[in-house]
Amino acid sequence: MPFGLLKYGLSSEYPAQQHFNPAADLKKHYDVVIIGAGGHGTGIAYHLAKYHGITNVAVLEKSYLGGGNTARNTAVIRSNYLTEEGVRFYRESVKLWQNLSNEFDYNVMLENRGQLTLAHSDAAVRSFRWRAEVNQHMGVRSELVDRQQIAELVPNLRMSEESRFPIMAGLWHADGATARHDAVVWGYARGACQRGVELHQLTEVQDVEITAGRVTAVLTNRGRVGCGAVVQAVAGASSVVANMAGIKLPIHSYPLQAMVTQPYKPLLTPHVSSPHVHVYVHQTSRGEFVIGGGSDPSPLYNTRATLEQRESLSAAALELFPFLAQARLLRQWAGTTDMTPDYSPIMGLSPVENYYLDAGWGTWGFKATPICGVSMAELVATQKVPDIIAPFALERFYRFEQINEAGATAASH
Amino acid sequence: MDPSISPTQTSRRSSLYRRHSQLNAEFHSFGETIAVHHYGSDETTQAQNLGLADLSTLPRVGFKGAGALAWAEQCGVHFPQQPNWASKQPDGTLVARLSSSELLMIGDYSGHSPLIDRLAAADRPERVYPLPRADSHSWLALCGSHAPDTLAKVCAVDLRPQHFENGRIAQTSLAKINAIILRSDIGNLTNYAIFSDSSSVEYLWDSLLDAMAEHLGSPVGLQALIDNR
Amino acid sequence: MKILTCPLNGPRNMSEFTYGGEYHPTPDHADASAREWAEHVFFHHNTAGVVTEWWCHNASSYWFLAERNTLTDEVLRTFDCDQLYNQRIDFSAVTTPETRK
Repeated sequence: MPFGLLKYGLSSEYPAQQHFNPAADLKKHYDVVIIGAGGHGTGIAYHLAKYHGITNVAVLEKSYLGGGNTARNTAVIRSNYLTEEGVRFYRESVKLWQNLSNEFDYNVMLENRGQLTLAHSDAAVRSFRWRAEVNQHMGVRSELVDRQQIAELVPNLRMSEESRFPIMAGLWHADGATARHDAVVWGYARGACQRGVELHQLTEVQDVEITAGRVTAVLTNRGRVGCGAVVQAVAGASSVVANMAGIKLPIHSYPLQAMVTQPYKPLLTPHVSSPHVHVYVHQTSRGEFVIGGGSDPSPLYNTRATLEQRESLSAAALELFPFLAQARLLRQWAGTTDMTPDYSPIMGLSPVENYYLDAGWGTWGFKATPICGVSMAELVATQKVPDIIAPFALERFYRFEQINEAGATAASH
Repeated sequence: MDPSISPTQTSRRSSLYRRHSQLNAEFHSFGETIAVHHYGSDETTQAQNLGLADLSTLPRVGFKGAGALAWAEQCGVHFPQQPNWASKQPDGTLVARLSSSELLMIGDYSGHSPLIDRLAAADRPERVYPLPRADSHSWLALCGSHAPDTLAKVCAVDLRPQHFENGRIAQTSLAKINAIILRSDIGNLTNYAIFSDSSSVEYLWDSLLDAMAEHLGSPVGLQALIDNR
Repeated sequence: MKILTCPLNGPRNMSEFTYGGEYHPTPDHADASAREWAEHVFFHHNTAGVVTEWWCHNASSYWFLAERNTLTDEVLRTFDCDQLYNQRIDFSAVTTPETRK
């Protein structure tokens, strides 16, 4: 059997699949420049090219494809949010996820595992009841479950009433899922490049040229690139890039750390998260336990890992799953979360006429990838804000109309 | 003193009184309050090795604000020049200076502080705000030759006597909760007064007793501290 | 653990402190517009580099200012906020066209 695989690998009849065009010279002008080649940036390019016929598009990436927060998030897909606007938005995204592999003929390894959020206080139970009501009203599968149901859903969860924060109830979200994050960005990038979009890696936007309230070009380390419109999709650097266009955002950027254990046999099916003990745990299809928690306590543009966070994440994970005490950690890493005051994204128009924002992705960016591709591409192509993203406009902070999702995070930040 | 006194006889109770009752504590009245007199026998010696006492019912009060120190001075209070030091007043009350605008006044073990009574009744000018420290904060006393070793297990600040003089204060994290730690020796007995949020004192009490176990520490009544003076 | 030097309490473990946001001057409360207030409350420079920010030492509830590099997490200095705030500001209710809306 190993020989068959070797033969396949070396055979010229099955060459390695080329995902996207090799970097060509930058053109002098593009109709649309997208800053950032993560899931969002490539998703927007894909939809512009495939559904709006806009193919003179460059995706500029200062590092490499999908190397930012697309690669660093913990791949949780869910829609059990708290506000009507939030639930509607993430619900559409979860629907798109279901068909994503077919959409671009690339396996994103979607697994519908379900997600369980734990309540350890009366206040949390009340807020779960509220979320379940809102979710069901909006057609999202979400229900309050009791201790016995929790024990059945996750047999190896510690249900002791003697623990520091005993589990009182849970919010079960059958629509919760996970996917292979790299595959998402590869699928979008391939589909976009096949339709003429150019992906330029190691191409850093260093300034934005604005004339009479309109973007005319971006200045990169490879020279000036004229453009008809710009979309910034740079989670983790939203403020820094927006600042180049003279736009101030309501964002603080915090590191968020996660870690994985070495692989084990399948033991845990759903995602389990506890906002109270600040941890979420799930087991990947490879068998590794992914352990994530809240953002770091203070803002930082640095993806270093800290011992303190390893200690507190481990303590919290053991509170729920004592058997993990035997597990060895394989690696620990961080992404940068652009936290907004209301824990909702900032999407749509900006004070600069043809400069579009896809920012403020905090800890909710991965799950929103497909809907962002659809809605941001529609905005750029039609210059009309789609209803589904209208509530997330930057202007909402001036109108005091925040979309408060602080109560719907998987771990408190 | 009436040996049959109950800890619930007055409205001012320690959050720990049920724990004391479980340990067969005998409660006595001290001044205007009720506190544990003793649990077992020979606590004077126990306190010299390692003891933990709950003094939460004894008087204390705080004053804060831009005008607090000037007002206290006018009222005849003597406080240290530097923050995070405490000094003793003629009536036995200890005055801890917590910052450039905050004082904490702690009565002695008699259960009565003339200074606190006087300041509580006095008119306060603007920008002097009282802090009900007797309600918001519990008061534990950790004493004995092994007290520094015990604190080293649960606190990152070096509180050993050679580095932390009598009268000094550390506002820091103790067993992961916020605390004001004041070294206030009793005669030759090393003693730390610990003030922390009343709502978590049961946790702190249990954590300290757990940390004390290896040095054979145990709870002691207030009388053991008085007898060591 | 990382150590932060509190101007009141001296060097302490980072875990004893709470981050309190960027330092920026408060708008004139007598005639600032709702838009200015929104900007003051919600918007941040979020600079990648040296910033001045609020920190609180939890155990003493003491607020102070720090200059910190948000690329390296290096703290350049910490100082008492009395250097910037030395008088009391009294707020009185103000009715502007925007607040009436």
